[in-house]
Amino acid sequence: MANISVFLCKCLGEIDHIIDFGLLREELSKNSSVALISTVDSLCLETDIEKTISLIKETDADKVLIAACSILSRGNLVVDCLVKAGVERHKIALVDIREGCAWIHGDNPEDASKKAKDLINMGIAALQHKEMSDDMSVAVNPSALIIGAGPAGLAAAISVAEMGYEVSILERSKTPGGMLKLISRCYPDNEDASNKLDPYIREIENNPLITFYPQSKITSIEGDTGNFTVHFSSQEKDSSIQSGVIIIATGAKIFFPTGLYGYGEIKNVITQMEFERQILNESLETKKTVFIQCVGARDRKRPYCSTICCPISLKNASRIAEDVPGASVFILHRGIMTPGNTLEKYYRDALASGVQFIRFEEEQPPRIIGSDHVEFVEVYDAITGITRKIETDLVVLSTPLIPNNDNARLAQMLGIEVDRYGFFSEVYPMHPLETKTDGIFICGSARWPVSSDHSIIQGKAAAMKAVSYLKQSKIAASTLSRVPGPKAGHACVNVDACTGCGNCVAVCPFDACQLEKLEGRYVSTVNLMKCKACGNCVPLCPNGSIQIPEHNYRMVGGMIQRAF
Amino acid sequence: MHTVKMKNPKILIFACKWCGLIGADAAGKKRISLPSQFRVIPVECASLVEPDAVLRALAGGIDGIAVLGCHIGGCRYNNANHTAIKRMELLKDLLDTTGIGRSRLLLSFGTAHEDYQFEEIIKSFFDEVSLLTPLDPWLSSFGVIS
Amino acid sequence: MLEKTKNIARQILEEKKAGGILGLMKGQWNIIQPHIFEAPAELDALVLEPKWLLAKLAMGILRSSPENYKLAVICRGCDERALIELIKRNQIEKESLLTIGIACSQEQAALCLCDRPYPTKLDAGEKVKGVDPFQDERVREFLIGNDKQRMERWADMLKRCIKCYGCRNSCPICICEPCKLEDDVWVKRGVVPAEAITFHLIRAFHLSDTCVACGACQEACPVNIPLLYLQFSMRKTIQEYYGYEAGLDLEIKSPVLSGVFEGPDTDREYPAWVNSMRERDGI
Repeated sequence: MANISVFLCKCLGEIDHIIDFGLLREELSKNSSVALISTVDSLCLETDIEKTISLIKETDADKVLIAACSILSRGNLVVDCLVKAGVERHKIALVDIREGCAWIHGDNPEDASKKAKDLINMGIAALQHKEMSDDMSVAVNPSALIIGAGPAGLAAAISVAEMGYEVSILERSKTPGGMLKLISRCYPDNEDASNKLDPYIREIENNPLITFYPQSKITSIEGDTGNFTVHFSSQEKDSSIQSGVIIIATGAKIFFPTGLYGYGEIKNVITQMEFERQILNESLETKKTVFIQCVGARDRKRPYCSTICCPISLKNASRIAEDVPGASVFILHRGIMTPGNTLEKYYRDALASGVQFIRFEEEQPPRIIGSDHVEFVEVYDAITGITRKIETDLVVLSTPLIPNNDNARLAQMLGIEVDRYGFFSEVYPMHPLETKTDGIFICGSARWPVSSDHSIIQGKAAAMKAVSYLKQSKIAASTLSRVPGPKAGHACVNVDACTGCGNCVAVCPFDACQLEKLEGRYVSTVNLMKCKACGNCVPLCPNGSIQIPEHNYRMVGGMIQRAF
Repeated sequence: MHTVKMKNPKILIFACKWCGLIGADAAGKKRISLPSQFRVIPVECASLVEPDAVLRALAGGIDGIAVLGCHIGGCRYNNANHTAIKRMELLKDLLDTTGIGRSRLLLSFGTAHEDYQFEEIIKSFFDEVSLLTPLDPWLSSFGVIS
Repeated sequence: MLEKTKNIARQILEEKKAGGILGLMKGQWNIIQPHIFEAPAELDALVLEPKWLLAKLAMGILRSSPENYKLAVICRGCDERALIELIKRNQIEKESLLTIGIACSQEQAALCLCDRPYPTKLDAGEKVKGVDPFQDERVREFLIGNDKQRMERWADMLKRCIKCYGCRNSCPICICEPCKLEDDVWVKRGVVPAEAITFHLIRAFHLSDTCVACGACQEACPVNIPLLYLQFSMRKTIQEYYGYEAGLDLEIKSPVLSGVFEGPDTDREYPAWVNSMRERDGI
């Protein structure tokens, strides 16, 4: 049946001065499925594309083959124009005879022409077998749910509410504020933490669009992108909320270095958090202080840098050096991490106020000397090679932020992943703050240890990403693509052939396949909202029951047959 | 002493649109001159390439197959290329057992997204395949399927 | 071993732990055939030889039985592995199957080139040491030499194929309906001998991580193609690199299905004698 129109693009001489269009036309005219052959000067020029579209509409042929440039250059544009004019996407084939043929075989026109002929034949074979995938749309619930009311969660909630959408915040403790409630000042501007937090807290109290649920614990989560239902209990009451998107801002927790540097055994060896608490309740008394960095971080067990401990030490060390007359303050470190110009200045200011820095190596950590309370710290200075014995009355240990214990459970309920350290995992590359499931975002220290400033930035960013979902009243599954443009299709299961072996379920990177019982046997079903058409399931299906219709095995087989 | 056994080997390339095809395109834009006996089938992700399709290509008279994908950790589909690499490596095992040779299947994950990389890979693959014994004993008994 | 097996089977039937025992019966005219023993008296005719793969039969029986029917299968090592793989692939429900594990003799292990001639749940018989297939002369014959020699040897073998589908039909793991090997896109219909690269290698590759090395394919082949030898190299790779063997555990799935590139990063290496051959002959 003659149902293909073929358009050969000369590309204003770039293609046809190497490739013999006469040969192509001759070959195509022998093919009974070709209804129309047309040569065009430059398909991406507006006049030519209009001419092409009208030619297509005139013929009975409903499939279109374009032989022009690559899909990564102007080819995509041409296909989009045709789709907009009403040609179905799976009925268009784009064959690259420019970047893939004319331009790389310019010194051999005869072979280039033969290759172009073969490529066009492959395109025709593809068109004959390409089919259309299913699609589905869901209505989006125009509200957001934020889990966690630290700076990240609060910033996210306020941003979403500013855009006019309802927001609910679930918080584990009694009051909002997260770890910001426990510290005295923030770096690098040394602003009081409560000053920073107050405007956010007032906003969530006053804004009618924001509802705050304290003392909540999540019990289960159902639903998919655009329509999540979260069951939780708050202050002894069971409840549930529906939302279109979920933002996770659950933060992290502090690592307590039991067994390191005499912590828990020798008095006056404390963590940074305890230091902050002593400042807040005005019980801090020290004149000689030693800060030790990288306690339980950047080692074999936790080979990451927690980013905030160096600036925190600079903040607290400078405070003692400036406020306590005659103080002696040391920071023992393995490299001071202060990126950017504000933090670099912060470091130089600390130096200027009299804080002394000593570098040690991982293999030779400092030694705490003292029986029931700390008296000295002995450290081998890696730069000068001298062992120093520092008199001290307080040792402050900088420990990293580590993931909350609850992360794995929450991740499983949401259908997302945690990385090897236990922090929530985002989809990499090029999709910051997004997770495996569309519509679920992560921000703040739940994603990776960050300062409160960066938590706020990330919270706002996650809110903006969330709003881009909420502002659509309906979401089509085909738009939930991880690449520019719509998805290539959706996986489709031939229910009669499926043996229920479960291979596709195990291997899908987005957990889109599930086994269901049908007439006593198991068959696989595809969740179109989750499937991204990567095709990983296709090679693993033992008899090819799962296929991507736009790239099915008949099409591949046909293309291979016509390749040479 | 390496003697060329195949004059003009036929190569089929499966290139993922996000890495391999970008290298091919870049080579095209630079007008780099390449041997002409290869055909490219673009795919969304290298994990879509079936080992069965590789075997089908070999049975159809194609001498070498290349699968170009993204580097480990760089797959836009949440590391789908990991499983792809594992099963393609297993296929190489089978090709070796039967004497077809693992060098007929080229796997490039993350090493073909620049123009000169694509050029190098294509040219060296052509060189390598031309040194291999043609698949005649397998194909001539049954005739090359068309 | 036979008496012990009979006793265990008798006990299972009497305690109604299963509705039937699937095993081999020596019937009329001394013909040996698979049989579902449902009454203890029938067990007098039970025999354990020859090696007969019952996994696929068990699957068929359970499919056509009522939902709460339990079947006990007298199985050797390879049979048990096949049953475990079928359970993992959701073809048999775990709760409807019992096994009576019997060990193979040393001669049987040598015949089958089996490296594990006993089931993990062994009820009767003594474990014997497995055989390393790579040390066997016949296997080495097929793996020695350079690419050209191997290619010719395999092509020689595979061109005898009459496309009887015996290998696929007898393989306990090949349970797909429809089967790829009957699809025109992959394997040309009406062509004999079967196209070696697509028919045999597609089948061999599909089994790469689930082959239990039972040898049923080889035994079923009417023209004696050594089909089992196609699998050894892939099984060894999976064992060495991921520590996984098909059919040993009900929960652990094949490493090819996991989403992370696991395993050591070292270069692939064949056993030393193959390498030296390649270097000597040159390619």
